[in-house]
Amino acid sequence: MKRAATIVLLAALISLPLWISSLYVLHILIMTGIFIIAAMSLNLLLGFTGQLSLGHVAFFGIGAYTSSLMSLGFEVHLLPSWQVGLEAKPVWLAMLTGVLLAGMCGWVIGRLSFKVRGAYFVIVTVSFAEVVRLVALNWVELTQGPMALNNIPVLRLGIPGFFEFAFLRKPANYYLVLAVGALAYLMIRRLVHSRAGRAMIALRENEALAASVGIDVTRYLVLATFLSAGIAGAAGALYAHYVRIVDPEIFSFIYTVTMVIMVITGGKGTLAGPLVGGLMFGLLPEVLRAFSIPPEIQWVIYGALMILIVYFLPEGIVPALSRFWRGRRQQDDAAALALKTEPSP
Amino acid sequence: MTSRTLKLMLMGLALAFAAGGAAAQDTIKIGVTQPLTGAFAASGNYVAQGAKIAEEEINKAGGVLGKKLQLIIEDNKSNPTEAVATAEKLINSDKVPVLMGAWSSTLTLAVMPKLEEYKVPMLVETSSSGKITTSGNPYVFRISPTSEMEAKAFAPLFKTMGIKKADFLATNNDFGLGASKEFSAAARQNGVEVGVMETMDPKATDFSAQLAKIKASGADTLFVTTAVEQITLILKQAKDQQLPQKIITTGGSNSPDQLIAQAGEAANGSYHLVFFTPWFPEAVKNPEIAKTFVTLWNEKKHNVGGLTEGFRGWDGLNVIAEAIKAAGKAEPEAISKALWDVKVKGINGDISFIKQGPAGKESAQNVPSVYLVKIEGGKVTRQ
Amino acid sequence: MLRASPGGERDHPHFTCRAPPRQRGACLAALRLCEQRVDQLLQHTLNALILGGTYALLGIGLTLIFGIMRVVNFTHGELYAFGAYMMYLWVMLAGMNFYLAMVLAVALGVLLGGAIELVLLRRLKGADIDTTMLVMIGAWIALQNLEQWTWSGVAKSITAPFPATPLVLGPISVSWNRLFVFVVASVLILATHALINHSKLGKAMRATFQDRETAALMGIAIDRIHTATFALGSGLAAAAGALLGPVFVAYPSMGDLASLKAFAIVILGGLGSIPGATAGGFILAFIEELGAGYISSGFRDGMGFLLIIVILIVKPTGLFARRERIG
Repeated sequence: MKRAATIVLLAALISLPLWISSLYVLHILIMTGIFIIAAMSLNLLLGFTGQLSLGHVAFFGIGAYTSSLMSLGFEVHLLPSWQVGLEAKPVWLAMLTGVLLAGMCGWVIGRLSFKVRGAYFVIVTVSFAEVVRLVALNWVELTQGPMALNNIPVLRLGIPGFFEFAFLRKPANYYLVLAVGALAYLMIRRLVHSRAGRAMIALRENEALAASVGIDVTRYLVLATFLSAGIAGAAGALYAHYVRIVDPEIFSFIYTVTMVIMVITGGKGTLAGPLVGGLMFGLLPEVLRAFSIPPEIQWVIYGALMILIVYFLPEGIVPALSRFWRGRRQQDDAAALALKTEPSP
Repeated sequence: MTSRTLKLMLMGLALAFAAGGAAAQDTIKIGVTQPLTGAFAASGNYVAQGAKIAEEEINKAGGVLGKKLQLIIEDNKSNPTEAVATAEKLINSDKVPVLMGAWSSTLTLAVMPKLEEYKVPMLVETSSSGKITTSGNPYVFRISPTSEMEAKAFAPLFKTMGIKKADFLATNNDFGLGASKEFSAAARQNGVEVGVMETMDPKATDFSAQLAKIKASGADTLFVTTAVEQITLILKQAKDQQLPQKIITTGGSNSPDQLIAQAGEAANGSYHLVFFTPWFPEAVKNPEIAKTFVTLWNEKKHNVGGLTEGFRGWDGLNVIAEAIKAAGKAEPEAISKALWDVKVKGINGDISFIKQGPAGKESAQNVPSVYLVKIEGGKVTRQ
Repeated sequence: MLRASPGGERDHPHFTCRAPPRQRGACLAALRLCEQRVDQLLQHTLNALILGGTYALLGIGLTLIFGIMRVVNFTHGELYAFGAYMMYLWVMLAGMNFYLAMVLAVALGVLLGGAIELVLLRRLKGADIDTTMLVMIGAWIALQNLEQWTWSGVAKSITAPFPATPLVLGPISVSWNRLFVFVVASVLILATHALINHSKLGKAMRATFQDRETAALMGIAIDRIHTATFALGSGLAAAAGALLGPVFVAYPSMGDLASLKAFAIVILGGLGSIPGATAGGFILAFIEELGAGYISSGFRDGMGFLLIIVILIVKPTGLFARRERIG
């Protein structure tokens, strides 16, 4: 049953551009997909290791800016007499660098911040994101500051001399996002089911106990941050080469909040959680836009939803549904058993 | 992942599939993307209001090509990603043949690749960054001046106002930084010494540090470029610190009426470069149009302080309407062609387009009029 | 070459320049520059002092809440904005007397704080810190956007009954409004200090901070203490907003920066330490003002964040924390 449903879903996703012709809908799905990837990365940190990082958007932005700057080329004066420059590089290389750099920043933050925990960790991550935003805003020579980096080139893949495919049109971008998303999902799943993953979950449940059993707490946390940041960076790079303009506003705290809502509502610590949450909150603004509901009210609804979910569905939608479904099945099984053992009329 | 979850996702996808709207056939749709919420909400709403007034007037007079105009106004939330989303929706879902927007330069720059992708023209009514018309995008038609034009228009006044040394205080975005750059260049060209050039975050409210520096600079004039809320605070804080410089604000988002209302005494003695003078409409090229607009605006009880920005919506829509008339059909290609030759009597002055940008892929730029006013004794006076 | 001269020579009112005639011009120019620089520094110092008072209010409010309740209070900034908007409502829309409106704004802030604690946080007794944080974030988003929807995003000015011409003290000047702010902030800081250290409620709060279980065993109603703490902290934030609203403007997202700066101050000063928060408020104001004046004006608001990161790396317990003590 489960296998069949998975295959149907995959088939639907892969064939989607064939039966959805509205470019607008495709655009929404692509943006939602990018956010789902970011949400998955946050889930790795928040859900599986239990660390609430509220600066996650920094990694998203670092991935976006790195990839853009490398693909556009740049020139800065680190000192009045010392000029550093880089020529434009192919987009695929730029994107990979973006992922790596974001991952490394995650690693650094991981190392630094895990000396402080709980509330302090949250504050450090928020501050980190704000500092990165201010750097992006004020280091105009490098990032163009508020004038934004525009005319970012699209990804081109191919064999030089033979053919080249440019990810210009929507269907192509949809497949790209789908591919990266699937890759991220598989990577996370692999990690969660591995030994490292089990160590992380042990950490989340009871850190002191885990440490006492000999689990190297810091090492696994740092590994998680590295991966989490890297995947967020990948989402950022995808964003940069699709929307093709990045400005310091992508470091806004509001995006972190959106990712957190997606993860929490969907179900933190589950693999499907960010997918469900991401889909809901990716599509919700557009649905509200169709009903002409002002964006402020949209955010009030988000805020209220967050509170309600924490109160009534603290584990999120996915686990609640799982339990419901399992409960139903048990009832069905019990009923079937009862029927079988009843004496025939 | 349970099958229940999978089914939920399939439902979600189906919902996405069901989105999208049908189109009515007997109106001409014009897409407008403006910041109705977010950092630039005040200005975006003024422009939208101005455009709506123009829509009503045009429709009252019989519409365009026998059909009524229908404005589809989308909120880009002062955010480039949203600006792109609104462009996508307007072009692909509502199928508009022409756009107007997107207010700020960053928002407009974000939308521009979409114009080229779908070959739909956009009328740029407010943005001031030079990049917009020099990026080689032939679907951009701008009626607002660039900071460079504004600075050039001001150039003769350096001498007449006796400016010897000038400081610059601008908001840290394309609008402010561009203006500082152009005005300081114009100053240098006219033999004026450039003092300190300071910036501030667009959301900052405390400028005491920058003003303290400016106070000590020895300049006689301070050029300020930012939105009206920050100008209010700057005027008040400049008075607090007893700044010796005379203040000149640029950029057209400076609403002198609002400054008088909110800065009170602190606004007296300040100068402002505006693109429309609703207090003395006789000063503009087409006074009857200006007076009509002011009357209609006040009839609708819109904020008087919004006149200096709302007129852009009116001018923009009228230019678009003229182009559609000249093109004979409401199609993007035809409208693009027709816009190049359009000549409209607007509130700011006479509007027509010249070529700007790399050869072969020029964008269109209007050369608008610029006016200097002064606030004295709580009133706006001509200069 | 230079000597202070009370009589005042022709060349400069305050100093005598004994340089040989050829270098006189340069000497005078240097003097003028020096004086300008000193004046500028004095002005910066004055600005920082005044701002520091309100920052201290914000910090004290948050350090109490954070220290006693261990709640990462993301709504702190919204109470700040609430205070400012209440001033707008009562002074500009209802025409109330300015000072009366200020008292009312603070009182309403206290009530709102208490309400938030009762409605949202009571249910989460004993929940882990992440859960309360998420609820606070939800409340923060909802509050801010309600504010934006009610008042629109356009900034609101509040007229204060002070003369527009500032008080001029030689080379520096300060507006009467800001002077008023400084005085009131100082009074409030002293009042809070007195409350915490010399009243019964304050004693109960300190006990709860030190050891919650023991305090409960001793008969202290922890729930009520929590409500009181949250209400008090929120009241201080609202006071800061009510004071600064008329100086600047009221706009919906004004609380965000206030929140983050409050966190910086709390971390700087040490959790639960009122003198720490007070000192922290002034230190942050000085760093901001001098940093903006001499390093980079664009980075003004970023100073707070950099401070947080540096402090948390170097000395996580803050500059003044004397190990689990408030007062």
